[in-house]
This record gives sequence, structure tokens and C-alpha cells, in this order.
Amino acid sequence: MVYILEAHPSDVWQMESNIRDKVVFASPKNEEDRALVAGACVRKLGIKFPAVLDGFGNATERAYTGWPDRIYLIDAQGRVAFKSKPGPFGFKPDELKTALDRLMGNGRPVGRVSELAPNISVGWEGYAPA
Amino acid sequence: MKLSKPIVVRLLIVALVVWAGFVGFVWWSMRQPPEVFGRVMSRMPAPVVFVLAPFETLWTHARAGALHPGDPAPDFALMKLDKSERIQLSSLTARQPVVLVFGSYT
Repeated sequence: MVYILEAHPSDVWQMESNIRDKVVFASPKNEEDRALVAGACVRKLGIKFPAVLDGFGNATERAYTGWPDRIYLIDAQGRVAFKSKPGPFGFKPDELKTALDRLMGNGRPVGRVSELAPNISVGWEGYAPA
Repeated sequence: MKLSKPIVVRLLIVALVVWAGFVGFVWWSMRQPPEVFGRVMSRMPAPVVFVLAPFETLWTHARAGALHPGDPAPDFALMKLDKSERIQLSSLTARQPVVLVFGSYT
């Protein structure tokens, strides 16, 4: 997971659903704050795969247009093999599964699945936006 | 009260212009940095935006981004949350495909 800037911080665009779920965070003011929120995110959502923290300048988010959420599959040649539509509407793990099957050879893996998502089928349900 | 045809046409044109302006404003806001878009949305009743504007279609296009399948993935080196190491994308993709999930808590 690439943890990026919050989608609905309380000081910018608070959502009722976040209040209901007690997921209320103001925009982190520095990298350390961001890391704290990111840690809570990973723990509470039970994300099993490795998580990295985008820098405070959001360079990686901007390079990938990742906000508010998005899925990519990068092949072993370092090229984009799959890019989802922007979340929340386009965040569809099933489409990733199809892309993975295609890349890995119609369900016959030709190599190991990425270390970044070893438990992908476990982690999705808790992560997918409502 | 019965409105004459020219007045109805004028009202429709005005409504159309106002609607186009509103949709244009929503489109513009979607193409701004996330913080700007968030502040705009926080000041508008969500049902108004979702009913009056083709929100999902606009969003899909506004946030399409410049990367396309087949393009080289921009490299990055980001610290793991547990601060155990910095992960460089290109060093991972040199060995195997990689899934990137962008997201946050809220």
C-alpha cells in the first residue's frame, strides 16, 4: 500500500460516515503526523501487505494520480500493466484480479506474486471503500 | 398564470447556462489539488452535486491522470511504515510484478 494524503480529513471535507465509524483525523501537519495516521490506518484496517509512506510533498501521489484511492499493477519490465479508474467509483479489486490472471498467464503463475500484496485476497475486503 | 412561449424558452436557456456553469465549476474543482477540491465539496450539499452534475463521469475524466497501460511506471523510493527500510519500486519490479494500492484512512 502507498499511503497518501487523507481523502476526508476533518478540517477539509468531513464525512458523516467517518464520524459514525470514529475515523476522524485532521490533515497531518508534518511527515511524523502523517506516519501516525498511516500506522492507525494499517492497524485498524488489518492491512497485511507492506505499506510505504508518500512524502509530504505528495510526489508519488501526483506521479500516479493516486488520490483518493487507486490500484496499479506494474509488470516485471517496470511498465504499467493495469491502472484502475480513480476511486472510490473505480476502486474495483475484481478488475485487478482479472489483470493479475492475465499477466501471470491465465491463472498459471509464471512467477511469484509481488511481495507488496502477498495476502491480497485477505486484505481487500477491509480496505475497499463503502 | 400562463407563461408565454418566448419566456419559457428564455427561462430554459438561462437554466441551461446556469447548469453548464455549475458543471464547469465542479469540473474545474476536480482538477485542482485534493485539498482545494475537498474544500469546495465541503461547502456544497452532496446531493446537489451528485444529482445535478454527472459526478462519476466528470470524476473519471478529471482524475484520469497522464499514466497509461504500457507506460514506464514512475520510480520511487519510499520508507516503509515500520521504518525498517526504504522500498524502491524499480528494485522490486526487476524481480517480479508489483501491485500498488494508493489510499488513506478516511
